[in-house]
Amino acid sequence: MPRRIHSQIVPNSLLPCRSSSSPASSSGIAFSSPSCGLLHNLSYSRPFASPLPANSQTSRPFSSTQTAQTRLRQDMFAWLSSEGAEFKNHVPGSTNYISDVKARAKYPDMVLRGPSRPFPLNPNFVSESVLSEELRNEIYERVVVKKQSVRAVSVEMGVDMRRVAAVCRLVEMEKRWRQQGKPLALPYARAVHEMIPTTPLYEKPSDQRNNPHESINDLPVHRLTDAQIFYPVSESRHFTRVDASRVFSAAPATTREQDAKQAADPSEIVNNINRHSSSIETVGKGDEEQPILQSADVRIPHPYLIAHERRRMANPQEHRENRKAYEERLKEVEAAEEEHKRYARERRERRLTRVQPEDSRFEFRIKDVVVSKETTGPDGRGARAPGRRYGVPSSDRKKGQVKIPTKVEV
Amino acid sequence: MRNRATTPLRQVKIRQSWSKYNLYNLTRLRNPVVGNRTFFQQKWTAKSMARKYHGEQVRESQWERMFSRRLRTVVPMSPWKLAEDDGSGMAAGRGAGLELPSKDSNYTRETPYTTMTFAPLERRLDVAIFRALFASSARQARQFVVHGAVTVNGKKMRYPGYLLNPGDMFQVDPERVMFATGAPKDKFDRREARIERKKAEEKKEAEGEEGTAEESKESEPEAEPKENESEKLDTRKTLQGLLSQAKNLISKDKNVLPAKRKQELRGFQKAVRRVMSRSGASQSVLTDNLEDQFSELMTLLKAKKAETKGEKAPKESKESKKTDSDSPAASESKDTKDAEATDAAASENKPTEALTEAFRKAAENPEEEVDTSELTEEEFEVLKRALVQMRDNPIDSSKPYATPWRPRDYMSAFAFIPRYLEVNQNICAAVYLRHPVARPGYSEVPTPFSETVSTGAYHWYLRRR
Repeated sequence: MPRRIHSQIVPNSLLPCRSSSSPASSSGIAFSSPSCGLLHNLSYSRPFASPLPANSQTSRPFSSTQTAQTRLRQDMFAWLSSEGAEFKNHVPGSTNYISDVKARAKYPDMVLRGPSRPFPLNPNFVSESVLSEELRNEIYERVVVKKQSVRAVSVEMGVDMRRVAAVCRLVEMEKRWRQQGKPLALPYARAVHEMIPTTPLYEKPSDQRNNPHESINDLPVHRLTDAQIFYPVSESRHFTRVDASRVFSAAPATTREQDAKQAADPSEIVNNINRHSSSIETVGKGDEEQPILQSADVRIPHPYLIAHERRRMANPQEHRENRKAYEERLKEVEAAEEEHKRYARERRERRLTRVQPEDSRFEFRIKDVVVSKETTGPDGRGARAPGRRYGVPSSDRKKGQVKIPTKVEV
Repeated sequence: MRNRATTPLRQVKIRQSWSKYNLYNLTRLRNPVVGNRTFFQQKWTAKSMARKYHGEQVRESQWERMFSRRLRTVVPMSPWKLAEDDGSGMAAGRGAGLELPSKDSNYTRETPYTTMTFAPLERRLDVAIFRALFASSARQARQFVVHGAVTVNGKKMRYPGYLLNPGDMFQVDPERVMFATGAPKDKFDRREARIERKKAEEKKEAEGEEGTAEESKESEPEAEPKENESEKLDTRKTLQGLLSQAKNLISKDKNVLPAKRKQELRGFQKAVRRVMSRSGASQSVLTDNLEDQFSELMTLLKAKKAETKGEKAPKESKESKKTDSDSPAASESKDTKDAEATDAAASENKPTEALTEAFRKAAENPEEEVDTSELTEEEFEVLKRALVQMRDNPIDSSKPYATPWRPRDYMSAFAFIPRYLEVNQNICAAVYLRHPVARPGYSEVPTPFSETVSTGAYHWYLRRR
């Protein structure tokens, strides 16, 4: 609701015009009084570069009302016209955050290096680079046209596997839009890519590998490792990562034979675990039973790279052989993954009965209902199990139940 | 939902918005005073500061249910390091690891856990749209969702509180994005649009009358020659369109553009007009695409290199589309900073000058034949780029934003895209890759506050007040 201004116009009309250069009648005076700037959002006709009236008293000398907001607004527009003018337009090819502008003012000749921080008080958040258009197209080309695996492309380009998949999806869609002649937001895309840092596509593959877009081997911090455990170990014992992970999940220590096996061929054991996840040892009994925590060698997204590095360390001269071995290992991993996927698909199909009546638009997929301890959980209240269960009230009227969709199937 | 997210100046409240008020407040933001205050007071202040930015559109009880004390973090691992040792060094010495000079600074930096306090809110659809730079504020993003301009995985999603799952793709209508991120129309633009609309309406009425009359009288065979005529006129029309666009450009940016650039543009305009008038008789080529238009213009200009360039043209156009960093907006901003113009900009200007020189000659004495064979490849490239720009970023008064499109003021101070999103700006679509995480030294949740504030807020929501 607009504030009323009647009380200001009456005394002002008696006063001499403050800005004599603009003979704009009494209404003009009212508009030029700073307190009215609140109502008229900001009048661009008045150049902000010219100094605003230093004290707002001149226009209303008999008023005893405090005009605190006005001074703040004056300060703001003074700032916007002086220091803040830097932020108005972007500088193509470089970021234009508050810290950048300050640094530029301080050291005008210095070329800013490294990531820049959009928020001056938060040093922990940096504006990280995005994929450039060329790099995006190259990833799409490799995965979709050349049929390279997402894993291989991820390692070569230094881009996370999930991102590689997303890029393929998005570029595919963009191509379809272009084909269909849908309007694209090209000027917007160009402007955004000028404002934020981008990861370029390097000509040499080695450059691409040495300047990765992001870390591809991120190890998620497991909940079990949150606890700080004091675990006494004899000095003579060779206590490795694998032992530490067993301690975290309260599994018994390994025997000497197991240790020897692990030391002999560490990558083979990792391979086995990754291929057969059901072969992982478990701890606990009954409902509490859970697989033991694996070490970082198993849990990183690209575990076979460790074996590659080991081989490279052992034979630093045999580049070609190392490369060959790496490619073979990669192929093995991919084949195992494919096999795993196929098995899961078949298993799903086996549980499903498809019925498609003749002349019907629909295909009915019938699944057997399983209400067992596995699905309902130990307390019988598991949300995954279908149907109503005696003594388990429906919680959909409870506070905080999500009524909006929780997922959208592709 | 009424927008209560005001940005007052008296009390600094940072919002998820690109407004200049917010920018000014951001420069004034200071850490809260902690000395001489009770722990409760510190936590209260921290929480209220943080909540004004993080999900102010979410009710407090709703957020309290969303809050999770579990903070997602990752540690980047190097396969080389894992291969080098089996981790036994960490248990060596007196049990706390051997002290080695660490090479990687990542391991010495601490993980900013508590800056992840508001990470669950980043999952919300409206916040993700704002983070992907598709809307100028979280409130606007919310409005886009509610108004049905957003799809998730190809299906319309009308709930701003929808929590994105990893792998979800969300799309916003590109027109809305251009409106949200583009500069607004000024009163001259609006007036122009009004006039255009009126003209179009009048035309429609007139056509409607004629059309009904013709339809009743004429049969099908007579419609065909009409089409042909329109095809013939097409070249002229497109070129005329280009001309008027350039004209508009000049008339609009009088304050922004320096005199030199204006001159160039005028020269360009004049020359094209002259070409048009001369080639009035030969209007046979159909100009569908840009390449044809370009070669047409070249032949009309009697440029001898036109034929050799014609073969290369399709390739070049693609390249220019990709590498073209010279949108009108960009060039404008370059021009405003003319004093500190880069070398690249200078080199870009040169061929244009040469081109305009040729055009100017042609404009001065229309009788004389213009010899444009001296034009280098660069100059052709520039001319081509101008045409590409005109096509990609046209002047269209029917749009709700100022045309040609340029980013809104003060956008660059807020422009960043966090890593948990993969954004394709061309189609205004983004994929929510994973939940935001913290890593040693970095946090992926964009928050303007220091760690003291986020720690206070985290401890507030642990509910041990």
